[in-house]
Amino acid sequence: MELLRPSSADEAAAALGNGSVALAGGTELVPLLREGLVRAETLVHVSEAVPRGIDGTRIGAGTTLAELEVDPQVPQALREACSLAASPQLRSMGTVGGNLLQATRCWYWRLGFDCWLHGGEQCFAKDGAHREHAIFGHELCASAHPSDVAAALLALGATLRTTRRELPIAELYRLPTADDRSTTTLAPDELILELDVPSPDASTYLKAMDRRKWAFPLVGVAAVRAGGGVRIALAGVAPIPWTLDAPAALDDATPLPGTAYKVEIARALVRRALALVGDSPRSP
Amino acid sequence: MPRVDGLDRARGQIQFTADIELPGMLHTAVLRSPYARARVTGIDMDAARAARGVRAVLGPGELEVLKQEPSYVGEAVAAVAAETFGQAQAALRQLNAEWDVLEPLLDPDEAVRQESFVSDVKNYERGDFERGVAEGDVAVEAEYRTQVVLHNSMETHQAVCHWEDDGITVYISTQYIWGIRDSVAEHLGLPPDKVRVVCHAMGGGFGSKNSPGDYTPIAAELAKRTGRPVRCALTRREENLAAGNRNATIQRLTAAAKSDGTLTALGGEFVNAIGFSGWSASTEGPMKMLYACENVRTVQYPAKLNLPPMAAFRAPGFVEGTRAEPHWAKRDEVRARSSGPWKHGIGLASQIWYGGGGPPSYAWIRLGSDGRAQVVTAMQDIGTGTRTAMAQIAAEELGIPVEHVRVSLGDSARGPFASISAGSSTIPSMGPAVRSAAADAKRQLIEIAAQRFHLEERVLDIKNGQIVSSDGSSWPLTEITGLLEDGQILGKGARGPNPAGMQVLTFGVQVAEVAVDVETGEVRVDKIVAIHDVGRVINKLGASSQVEGGIIQGVGHTLSEERIVDPATGSILTRTLDAYKMPTIADVPEIVTELVDIPDPHLTNLGSKGLGEPPIIPTAAAIANAIRDATGADVRSLPISREEMLRALREAEAREKERRGAPAAV
Repeated sequence: MELLRPSSADEAAAALGNGSVALAGGTELVPLLREGLVRAETLVHVSEAVPRGIDGTRIGAGTTLAELEVDPQVPQALREACSLAASPQLRSMGTVGGNLLQATRCWYWRLGFDCWLHGGEQCFAKDGAHREHAIFGHELCASAHPSDVAAALLALGATLRTTRRELPIAELYRLPTADDRSTTTLAPDELILELDVPSPDASTYLKAMDRRKWAFPLVGVAAVRAGGGVRIALAGVAPIPWTLDAPAALDDATPLPGTAYKVEIARALVRRALALVGDSPRSP
Repeated sequence: MPRVDGLDRARGQIQFTADIELPGMLHTAVLRSPYARARVTGIDMDAARAARGVRAVLGPGELEVLKQEPSYVGEAVAAVAAETFGQAQAALRQLNAEWDVLEPLLDPDEAVRQESFVSDVKNYERGDFERGVAEGDVAVEAEYRTQVVLHNSMETHQAVCHWEDDGITVYISTQYIWGIRDSVAEHLGLPPDKVRVVCHAMGGGFGSKNSPGDYTPIAAELAKRTGRPVRCALTRREENLAAGNRNATIQRLTAAAKSDGTLTALGGEFVNAIGFSGWSASTEGPMKMLYACENVRTVQYPAKLNLPPMAAFRAPGFVEGTRAEPHWAKRDEVRARSSGPWKHGIGLASQIWYGGGGPPSYAWIRLGSDGRAQVVTAMQDIGTGTRTAMAQIAAEELGIPVEHVRVSLGDSARGPFASISAGSSTIPSMGPAVRSAAADAKRQLIEIAAQRFHLEERVLDIKNGQIVSSDGSSWPLTEITGLLEDGQILGKGARGPNPAGMQVLTFGVQVAEVAVDVETGEVRVDKIVAIHDVGRVINKLGASSQVEGGIIQGVGHTLSEERIVDPATGSILTRTLDAYKMPTIADVPEIVTELVDIPDPHLTNLGSKGLGEPPIIPTAAAIANAIRDATGADVRSLPISREEMLRALREAEAREKERRGAPAAV
């Protein structure tokens, strides 16, 4: 395997695709490579090519979660999502750009079962063990998206700048379809460079997990009050980060037998998050 | 007293089996079955042998532990030794194994129906259960389930085998040096004294390292074939797959009582979901042993399944079978802390367990002219602070400062037979042997001193490194030991028999304070107070560490740990530590430990019992009882995950609603 260290975004984008994969913090990619779930002939280390740091509403995609969680310029929901994610060691390595692109923690997918998301015929989780899985959008694949940060950025209405385009973060994600089973719209040779995260009036991120630290969300709820409206986004409930149009949309959840409890948790956390962003003034 | 080897441990200067590096050492990768039940129909041994760096390959049937027809996911099928671990792993793929996949048996109740058992069904009855139920004013039936939990020792299971001269040296992470010696000798057809077993330090075992496993015979055979030292070490993923587990249980229980609280009957059907092999722990033990109840009837089914075998795990059976006690103190004070969705409660559970140890166990003391002593015994310190405790026992008996005692252990070629470190037996088995050896050495010292000072032996003693006489005069110990010049005093000690006509048991209670978020099902354990009676405590600091470790492990078992299996294929889904959730330091409650610390008068030598297992036994029951106190909800299965907590809360609400809706009771 070859390791490249391009010094510009253009150079990096040119090196990507055709068996080349971008490497940033490595907290997700390295285990996937080791397990054979991602194959790469060339790793393109993008730390010199992707901006890192926070300037007002602009956040370099190479900024680590550890840097985000302590910076007062960063909206509360994103800071909380970062500090509730992973462990301090992982947050010191993991970048925000990489975090948005992490794969599901579905155990069938991670163990290399020939599942639907890997291109196979069936989702093993649906009839199998699925307590960590989806309550929305699971017609074809019941995996749950694990990113706390993505839910926060979705509720915050962040915009991404890539090597090719600018797009609202909602457009980064897509439910996988029979023709195209990827969960993002990012091209193989496209790099996320920067995020623009507008300052909200108030925001928060609440998370339910199996232990008090270092666990992926069973349910994560981001709530943001901005411009007279409130936006809610959920983590851990669908194959992609999930926008909840209104609290009542939880009535439309279609939980699996083993994920019905997630709806109950989501109701409580949504209610609390709304109280936090609505009832009392909070720092953005 | 801090550990005698604490600084070395903190500095990384202790040598674990994982640190052993021998010149020319080869590394092993093991092909494990991806199927719960299958037959190997094809395997390309030659391709693996031809792979880069490979020095030997063992195929199905070449060892007893390498199966042609594996019976659980993770069972060993073939093994490759190569110059590097990476090369060995790569060669496994060259084996290109082909499988005939068979239907696995995964459901424990179905195994009972089919009478698929690993051993005999155990029936027990005292008194008359039916009559006891009839005599009660109330009878309650309930089904409880406990999950499979994994030991996940920090040091994975491993051995390094090395042929030297005409014998073999086995470096191994083990709880039983002598058991490994005998089983390796048997496997290789060697006299046991040709096998040397070494374990200087160990990174955790919790019962899972009592046996040689598959890795030891694999390493021994590969070392024999290659003439090179061979390491066989489980990876973390293998550790979560094939290193043993605390088996799941289904418990269908009945309790009957009079309205004054007198228990009239206890009964239980206990299904132990053992896996494909192993032994059936006494899940019914607490029901039989802990309660003053005349009428008890239990049946225990050891279900044989196509799942990885159980291994002993810190008080096997008793952790799963312990239920809460229905009374508690300070209840109102704790409950008053409830606010909003967070409900607070307190719960208590008690503990019964063995822990008396027993013979045979031997120790020697060597005492030289410098007045310093060395304890020599081929036991193992499994990370519990044994080395420190043995030094303390020897120092106390000899009357010399503990800094003047060194403990040499962990090598079957350098010391006498010592007991297994399991069943909370290390202190009560080995402690008396060390103490006897020290007493023997002291007797010899006093004999010499009596001759030297022309005094009667009975007026002499040794205290604080001084020979003291009853008339008040004293001499430095070295004045006597100096006479030895290059010689040494050798004290020998053996563990005597246990008291006749009684069973040596340990007891304890734990009280848990919890808070439950009744909207999200989050359970927070705020505090656990642990009071245990294990007789005399040798090392208070070490003992409280043991209690803390047991409780932390218990909190994990209660709230977050669960090995999850695919119900269709029997594949283990939680193979990494992000999926299998052990507690983090943030999950650890405040722990208050109080040890009774009164010598057991029936254990005449030392008065001490073991403390390894008791602290984990009542933790889950105390937490469940506190949850009931806080919320009125009865949790029925472990772990008390969000879904189980919410289920129990909704069930309690429905019960309450029904009660309110029902016509006024009498």
